[in-house]
Amino acid sequence: MSLEIGSLFSDIIPTMIVAWISLLFTIWFILSGRNGVRWLSDLAKVASDPSIKGSGFSPSAFGKKWYSNFKRNWLAAPNNISLAVKSAWRARERGLAIFAGVFLSSLVITTVLAYAVGLNQGFFQFSLEGEVFDAKLDFQEDPDGTWEGRTNDSLLWESMCDEITEMDEFSDCSLVYGRQGIRIDGFFDDSFAVPQPLNVVSASGNSADWGNVSWDYQEAFENGPPINDGRTIRFYGSGVWDGDLGERHSDSVIFGQWPSTASDAVANRSIILPSKIASAAGSEVNETISSLTFSYINGTYTFEEVEKVLEECQGTIENNIEVGRIFCLETFTVTDLKVAAIYEEGAFANPTLLFHPVMVTDSVLSEEQKLTLMQKDHAYLGLAVDRNQLPTSSTRDATNWLSDVKDDLESVRGELTLEDPVTNESTLIQDAKLPRFYAVGACSEDFSEADLLAASEGKATLVCESGDFALLSVEYNDLISGTITFLNIFLGIIQVFDYILVIPIVALSFVVLAYGLILSLEQRRREVAIHRVIGGTEATLGRMMVLEVFAIGSIAWAMGFVLASGAVEVVLRAVGFLRFTDAGDVDVNPILSGGSTFLVAALTIGWAYAQGRNKTKKFLRMEIDEGVRKISRDREPYYLLHYLTFGLGILAFVESWIQSNGGFWIWGGGGIISNFILNSVILLLGPFFLWIGGALVLSQIGATGPQILNRIFGWSPAISDIRRGLRGSGSSKSVSQLSLILLLTLSIVTLAAVQGHTGTLVDERTTNAQNGADLKLQFDTALTEEEARSRVNQSIEVVDDDDISGINSMTSVANIFTQTKEDSIPLLTWVVFDDHEDSLIWDRQAIPGSDIGEFAASLAGSGFTAGDLAEDSLDDPLVGTSLTLEYTTFVINQFGIPEATGTTETTVSYTGRHQWVPGFSAAETNSVILIGEGSYRELVGDSSADSYRSSMWMFDLCDESEKGCQDALETLGADLRSRQGVVSASDWSTAHEQNERNGGLIFGTPGLLSMMFVVAALASVSSAFVFLSLVLSQRKRELAILQAIGASPNQVVRLVLFEIMSILLVSMLLGVTLGLAVAESFNGFFGVFGFIFQLFLGQSAPIDRDLIWPWLEIIAVNGLVLAAVVVSLLFTTRRALDSDLATVLKGE
Amino acid sequence: MEGEFKEILRANSLYHIYESNAEDGNVVALRGLSISMEEAEAVAVVGPSGSGKSTLLKCLGGLMKPSAGSVELGGTRMTRLTGAELVELRQKTVSFIFQDSNLLPHLNALDNVAQPLLHQGVLARPARKKAQDLLDRLGMGDRAFGMPDQLSGGEQQRVAISRALITDPKLILADEPTGALDPITSREVLQLFSQLHKETGVAFLLVTHNREVASFCERSLELREGRFIAQHGVDVDIGDLADSRELIVDDSGTLTLPPDVLLQIGGPGRFEVSKLERDVLNLDRVDEEKVSIASSGKMRLSDTCPACFHEYGESEEQLCPECGSSRPMVQT
Repeated sequence: MSLEIGSLFSDIIPTMIVAWISLLFTIWFILSGRNGVRWLSDLAKVASDPSIKGSGFSPSAFGKKWYSNFKRNWLAAPNNISLAVKSAWRARERGLAIFAGVFLSSLVITTVLAYAVGLNQGFFQFSLEGEVFDAKLDFQEDPDGTWEGRTNDSLLWESMCDEITEMDEFSDCSLVYGRQGIRIDGFFDDSFAVPQPLNVVSASGNSADWGNVSWDYQEAFENGPPINDGRTIRFYGSGVWDGDLGERHSDSVIFGQWPSTASDAVANRSIILPSKIASAAGSEVNETISSLTFSYINGTYTFEEVEKVLEECQGTIENNIEVGRIFCLETFTVTDLKVAAIYEEGAFANPTLLFHPVMVTDSVLSEEQKLTLMQKDHAYLGLAVDRNQLPTSSTRDATNWLSDVKDDLESVRGELTLEDPVTNESTLIQDAKLPRFYAVGACSEDFSEADLLAASEGKATLVCESGDFALLSVEYNDLISGTITFLNIFLGIIQVFDYILVIPIVALSFVVLAYGLILSLEQRRREVAIHRVIGGTEATLGRMMVLEVFAIGSIAWAMGFVLASGAVEVVLRAVGFLRFTDAGDVDVNPILSGGSTFLVAALTIGWAYAQGRNKTKKFLRMEIDEGVRKISRDREPYYLLHYLTFGLGILAFVESWIQSNGGFWIWGGGGIISNFILNSVILLLGPFFLWIGGALVLSQIGATGPQILNRIFGWSPAISDIRRGLRGSGSSKSVSQLSLILLLTLSIVTLAAVQGHTGTLVDERTTNAQNGADLKLQFDTALTEEEARSRVNQSIEVVDDDDISGINSMTSVANIFTQTKEDSIPLLTWVVFDDHEDSLIWDRQAIPGSDIGEFAASLAGSGFTAGDLAEDSLDDPLVGTSLTLEYTTFVINQFGIPEATGTTETTVSYTGRHQWVPGFSAAETNSVILIGEGSYRELVGDSSADSYRSSMWMFDLCDESEKGCQDALETLGADLRSRQGVVSASDWSTAHEQNERNGGLIFGTPGLLSMMFVVAALASVSSAFVFLSLVLSQRKRELAILQAIGASPNQVVRLVLFEIMSILLVSMLLGVTLGLAVAESFNGFFGVFGFIFQLFLGQSAPIDRDLIWPWLEIIAVNGLVLAAVVVSLLFTTRRALDSDLATVLKGE
Repeated sequence: MEGEFKEILRANSLYHIYESNAEDGNVVALRGLSISMEEAEAVAVVGPSGSGKSTLLKCLGGLMKPSAGSVELGGTRMTRLTGAELVELRQKTVSFIFQDSNLLPHLNALDNVAQPLLHQGVLARPARKKAQDLLDRLGMGDRAFGMPDQLSGGEQQRVAISRALITDPKLILADEPTGALDPITSREVLQLFSQLHKETGVAFLLVTHNREVASFCERSLELREGRFIAQHGVDVDIGDLADSRELIVDDSGTLTLPPDVLLQIGGPGRFEVSKLERDVLNLDRVDEEKVSIASSGKMRLSDTCPACFHEYGESEEQLCPECGSSRPMVQT
């Protein structure tokens, strides 16, 4: 848990106090508002109906009344509160249930909200990782205008950095020579693509093979707007080496060290290379590059200015059709550079600065070169925003904050006089947005804002005696907000999903609270009677009791809130059900905003308060009825509603089951309800209906547990003597409520465990399907098995990890074209080699049948499978149908034209449809047929088969379910990726992590389900404990009577034990069953959201959510509940038995 | 009644019926009970269990509305008061003391005593001060911060008495105040009562079985079957009420004989008023049936029509054939 204690005291607690106080005010406001309305309506009644004798308004009476109210409400408040807290503490047993309810709801709601914040932060950080600069600062003016607002002195421009870093919002700043200044209005502005970067043209050195290096970078074109497809180069000023920028750069360094200071970089003439370039050149750290030539833009022309270009341009002319410009390129050469580090090329992020440049210290440039680059607009300031300050509570806040920063940097507010050129009338605009000018240089401090404003408007000339200075105005190009826009949409859906997912557990805590209130009020019957005798009114008693609820609620809320704030990070780091990664993976400090804190307080304390008020009022009405004591009649519960809810839930369950079963009886795979919207609504709401309705209906059965078990075990001598006592039990309300609470909690525990395990397994299976093996390597040329093996072995040696000793097995998937002999249907035929099942991780869902060994054997023995489309093209053959495949071999003749040399054939028999082949997408494998090595050899001949070459090989290296293996795989993958000739190396572990984080179970759910499991398990244990002791202390008198009429303590204990245990066991059984059903129907819920996510992410292999039943967890929780109940039973029964019979019987 | 004494409590023909699902139907706890008490008077109520003592106290103290009848407390009729007004009246006039002290278990002695004042809206500080003074006066000053379960029975009862006194009531209704105490402690409590009675002039209405308690009062009322049937003087003997009994004939003229008296006169029956003059009523048992039942009260159809005097004769007609009026029935 890395919640800093500092932030607890500096951020969380003050926010909590503010939220708490505002809640008080809100309640006060609502109450006094209501009183005000009542007062007004009374007044109106008196005014409108003269027959009502107006009590007459007299100021003195009013004043007196006001004073007495004031005294009652405010002056007495401190004493009332202290009494409330004191009595809450002294009578803590009855308050426990209230405490538990508020605590749970506070914990859960806070966790979910903070979880959203954390998720936001985590994703934000994750997506910002690829971005070293947060903003690009250019001159606001075009270079071809006057020099106003610009400078060509790089030192002056760099000194602007001092001014920037003085601002709180920015943490670091550096001069960069690179892409030209972008002056645009928005992200999709046409001219966004016009400004060009510096490109590397060539490099030379003695030790590395620079001739082998291609400086083209086509991927840059494909991963953003078509700006430039060459390898870019940046020259860094002094600010980039240390501080935030230094840290961000050094994060991606894989070999060598990022120069830690500017002087270090200058002294070593440091150059930092991207891994692809370094690996292509075979270049290593500390090597010297004797010279490096790069191009810069000497001029930019439109296509109309062709003649002008030819006339003016001395260098290379380059047409860029996409951008619609002609660029004139000149080159500079820098010499004698030393490779300081090599960094790994990460994802293609924001295209503003272009991707993966070569980075060099600017000290290698001559003053003349710098001057030229400045003049050609190639110099900008790269900024690092203090990301801690970036509001992360919501992305909208962040966007606002960023645009404020931009406005602040670019402009000032001032008066602007506009002159109409026609009429010569001038208008004065107050508070206009004017470009902001900075005075940088020797006397930057000497001018006031007013002076600068005046100078910028041309009204005054600034004179400085101490030295040169420049007036600059800047253009701020933000690199973060694009990321934010994406996150906004993406996280929005996730949050909705997460909020819905935690509804049960929030509802559960509310139920605990509601029943806790009722039970605790019932415990106070006697106390209320005493108060009533000594002059307590409904108002004072009500206030007293509500205040106590409020006090308990506040404490519970605070504890839940703080605990949740601390626990969120743990929840966030969940990568599977009850599995958490190490610290440091995500570093978030989720602090809820004031609004959210207030929301949590209002939902928990406020709810407890409202409920408490309501219930207390009802209770007091009943108790302090001044007339004949009314026999209170309990409202008959809405049984019809319960059954209706349950019925709807069952419908959803059946629907979900039919859909996952792919149809049943008369219904197809679409289920009973064919309307898409209605179907979705049922699937989304159904689980909740099933849960609540099921619990309500089944709790009636649970409460009759004693009768049921009595009937079963009635013959046994253990209970034969207490049978009579049992006959009447189970009918009381509190007992059926105990059953209800147990049903509600245990079904959630079951749900969380089942869905959590299922989801985790789905993630693994998705990874299995996507990655196909422990390691999937794509080489740039086709290699034989031996060649590929030696490459990987080399890497294994370098990595030298104990967990990977060598290659266990390896395989590849070959593909050839065949056609059927009969109908000449062309078939794309994939081949799996013998023992492929050792390397490829097949899933049972992917293959026909369910036995992987059988499947492999059938392929090896001339079987074949087909994908969905291929099956169609073969007219859906029956399993066992034989098919003769023809394969034609070609030889390239002397003219370069392929010539058929012969046809071979083999007969294969159909074994069924494959869903996918491990390592390949389902879409790819849809249209292929899959044959074994034997058939392949018959077709292509042994010699071809033996000399099989492929650029794609898959390896089995270790047991990927082990932690050590996963780490080793990651290291090995990283090493292989940086090697020459390796196009991609995807290891199972990295793919799995990515799956879990980005596309797994559905974002964030493992953590939430884990939390749900833990919280619900705790809730069921503790509520069983609390409710049981409340129920039993209510029955103290009954037990005493039993004893008084001659029951032995043993009999009493057995009676209670049997009764409660039978309720418990029956409820547990029903609860777990209900939980399993809810879990099944939640599949439909996940399906609907999964569909939405697939729309956004285009996930390829849809894995069935086959439910896993984690009996161990379920049994453990139920066992714990059982243990808690037995302990509390023995404890409370013992106490009831020990207490003085006479006292208990006497007390009313 | 002497004019210098003001009436503090008056109840007229109180009836109270408890709803019950028993076979005999509802239970009548009070049947037309009347009582009048003056300020600074101490009255004991004696009677067997089930005679309606607790119901009486609740009705008189305004904790419960009687099914019928009126109660006047300190000159205010309670029948028509709303809940809040009733509580206010109670706060100002009456306090209750029960057999077991009924202290609030989660408050210490001091807070228990101060609680009634807090309910009246007095601030905590003055309320506590007054409570402390009272506890001091009752010799409980040093136990002020004890919790109820740490106090002995006598101490608890003292705290309960302090709590009853803190509102300066005009009337204290006590239900067996010494019932749960040993003889010595109950004597102390009783001494306390008489001291308070003399010093503060508070009126007491005590329900008791205890002779000492009853003798502390100026008069005792005998309650039977939900009605006061007799009054006893200071020299009441709980063991044999017959010695000091003065039977009550109330405003409605009702007289109820206690069982022993009934036994002495030879059981229930009918009595003749042999002598009736001011302050004297003699009753003699009637031995024979004096009023003979005249006729069997059989009815038959009338012979003649009352409107037109038509003779029906032997006919069984119901309507007069001449005038059409219906044929009446007459006594045989």
